[in-house]
Amino acid sequence: MPLLEASSLRKLYDGFCALDGVSLAVGSGEFVSIIGPNGAGKTTLINVLTGLLKPNTGRVLFKGQDITGVGPVKLARLGMARSFQLVNIFPELTVLEVVKVAVVSRLGRGGRLFSSLARDREVTEQALAVAELFALADKRNIPAKKLPQGDKKLLDVASAFALRPEVILLDEPTSGVSTREKHTIMEILVSASKEIGIKSIIQVEHDMDIVFGYSDRIIALHQGKVLADGTPAAIKADEAVVNTVVGRKTRMPERGA
Amino acid sequence: MIRRAALVVVLLGIAGVPFMGGDYYTTLMLPFFGYSIALLGLNLLFGYTGLLSFGHALFVALGAYTAAYMTSVFGILHFEAILLVSVAVALVVAVPVGLLCVRYVKIYFGMLTLAFGMLFYSFLYKFYHLTGGDEGIRVLRPMLLGQSFPALGKVEFLTGPYYYYSLALLVAAAVVMWRVVGSPFGLCLRSIRENPEKAEYVGVSARRYRFYAFLISSIFGGVGGTLLAIPTGLADPLLAYWTHSGNLVFMMLLGGFANFFGPILGSFVFIFLQDQVISLTQYWRLVFGAILAVIVIFFPHGLMGVFDPRARAGG
Amino acid sequence: MLGGVFHAATLFLVAAGLQLVFGVQRIVNLACGSFYALGAYFGFSVVTWALKGGMPQPLLLVALILGGLLLATIGLVVERLLRFIYDRDESFQMLLTFALVLIFEDVIRFFWGTAPYQLGNLYLVYGRLQVGGLTIPVYNLLVIAAAAGIAVLMGWFLARTRWGRIVRATAENRAMSEALGVDMRRVYAGVFTIGTALGTVGGALVVPATAAIHEMGIDLIVEAFAVVVIGGLGSMRGAFVGALAVGVLKAVAIATYPEIEMLAIYVIVIAVLVLRPAGLFGRATA
Repeated sequence: MPLLEASSLRKLYDGFCALDGVSLAVGSGEFVSIIGPNGAGKTTLINVLTGLLKPNTGRVLFKGQDITGVGPVKLARLGMARSFQLVNIFPELTVLEVVKVAVVSRLGRGGRLFSSLARDREVTEQALAVAELFALADKRNIPAKKLPQGDKKLLDVASAFALRPEVILLDEPTSGVSTREKHTIMEILVSASKEIGIKSIIQVEHDMDIVFGYSDRIIALHQGKVLADGTPAAIKADEAVVNTVVGRKTRMPERGA
Repeated sequence: MIRRAALVVVLLGIAGVPFMGGDYYTTLMLPFFGYSIALLGLNLLFGYTGLLSFGHALFVALGAYTAAYMTSVFGILHFEAILLVSVAVALVVAVPVGLLCVRYVKIYFGMLTLAFGMLFYSFLYKFYHLTGGDEGIRVLRPMLLGQSFPALGKVEFLTGPYYYYSLALLVAAAVVMWRVVGSPFGLCLRSIRENPEKAEYVGVSARRYRFYAFLISSIFGGVGGTLLAIPTGLADPLLAYWTHSGNLVFMMLLGGFANFFGPILGSFVFIFLQDQVISLTQYWRLVFGAILAVIVIFFPHGLMGVFDPRARAGG
Repeated sequence: MLGGVFHAATLFLVAAGLQLVFGVQRIVNLACGSFYALGAYFGFSVVTWALKGGMPQPLLLVALILGGLLLATIGLVVERLLRFIYDRDESFQMLLTFALVLIFEDVIRFFWGTAPYQLGNLYLVYGRLQVGGLTIPVYNLLVIAAAAGIAVLMGWFLARTRWGRIVRATAENRAMSEALGVDMRRVYAGVFTIGTALGTVGGALVVPATAAIHEMGIDLIVEAFAVVVIGGLGSMRGAFVGALAVGVLKAVAIATYPEIEMLAIYVIVIAVLVLRPAGLFGRATA
């Protein structure tokens, strides 16, 4: 059974069709990339998949359970997390605190009014462990707003990872970051997911090097429809995708299965 | 270390006022305790959760009227009982009001809370057979820990046993609040303040936590109000007027909302400043308005922000 | 009933000022009530002085409006002050306007003291009208007409003139407007001053029929908010409808069950905020 499944999603905005019958399935162990030109509906798709938006028609199933429009809070508890295209952190909290929020949430300790957070060893240790995976542990007491952009993105992802989700959706995890840093970030993401035990990763990404370098499968979106859904090799060979997503015939990256 | 030492010194100083300050200043200090407790609650909402309430006076008034009713109407003088009932009353009102208000943020939250405060005010004002109208209801001297101190006159009672009782209550309230803001719950509140969307994605329900913060803040408001009513001996509708809520916000900002002790400092400075300014000119509102303007423009983090720019609330 | 409409007329002016400022600058001006009060007191003074100077009584309305407009210049000063905090959180902006409320309260106290000022029966210079079984002062009708006229004028201004379009564009999308070369500072200064003028003129017009009382500003604020909430934040039409609603409601409440007069308004505000937070015409910027 696929871990995350979407069937015939349609989402309309005042007559504009953002998603037009999108169906997909992601299985355990897969790294899936969603690509497509701007306006193709990628972010809308992520918002619907993560229960933030209710589609006009269609369903989203997570582990067989209907999670359509269920909302982010429930989603986090069910085992799905996401990161954001535009960096989304808690600016005034320290790096460690940002991760701790996720840990506290996961451990269900948000209701503890009188116990000291600072003295909660379990929370601190788990938060530190995640921070270390993302090479942020030595910056633990720095306010999140003071981090360099790349670290902020990592922090955003780290706090999502701290939820120990089974499925994680990353919305452009390497955007706004220099090319050199992109691969660093991706390597960290992949090794961290193994450590934490994340079963499936879904990312929206524009950088084709990254997409072809890491994906097991690629889904190409165009004007709200799924244009193609296959292995990197299959996608490479698909003319339609190459034309719409890349814009013109260029040399496709050599890497990738 | 220095902070702890400073705290002890301040506590000792406050405790010493009745001996050194004379009746006038000691009596002046009395509202400080009530306001400080109420402000701790208000700042939980604003400094820690990011919600600015323009209706906190609602709960302060509730606390005062509870004291009035309990003593004058029901003849129950045990202050502990009064305080407990105050907490209960505040909670009972805070649940429906809170459920409604936390669905909105920023201006709408401010306006809703303002509206509720004014609703209570108009209720207190108009239904005079229930509430005493604009004359209010008298608050009688309570019994502290079962003692009624019959030998003491009004001033001696207030500057003696009641002063220290209030101080103890403030310390207790501060300890409770300190633990709350330093708890995992407190962290969740701050995450909502910082970024409600992200907080939700991490599993922290913004609405739920705002509601809890609202409840807690209302309790502190109610207790503060009860404490305030005893020295004045009166509960009157103006306690619920929106400008009273505005003053509460002013005090919080004056002391500094980003620091745990800021609001307490704010309450202290406001009271003494008001006393001094009133003795100099009848146009104290103008002076205070100007001060508030200066704070908002130049010193948004208040006095604590000036003394301790590093110190950020919580943790 | 007509008293309700009269009250609604002046309330509309103040609310329109609030709406304009909020719509364009996203600032909730708690001091709008203060402008109203200042307008009332200043209007009173202008009229008294003008009468002493020999102004014929029928020019009462003119004197009031002129007085209100003159006073609106303080709007320019206040706007300069607000410039400091344009980029801050809304809560802080509200707080600054609250500081102004305090300041203006004492300004009024300083210049005019705390006793109420009345123009007596001066307004009767325009005579009375018999409509049905009711006797209505013509003055009230004139004020209602003036308010309606101003409403129409504002509507025309916003919809038809170049300046009006700029104002609306800025309200829709500040960044875009700026990018298109609109001088934000002048727009803001202009908008705020107009908003102030609406408040001061509203206050001035009210004086002959009622009085200048020093709490009038603070009391009005909550009503103005009720109007804005019911009508929807940022909408002129909303201000119009909301003001009518509040004015009429108040009149009805006073006539039937006076005790709930004030309560009724707040209950309605709360109900609207809960059921339709955007109000009848507003934009949902919750």
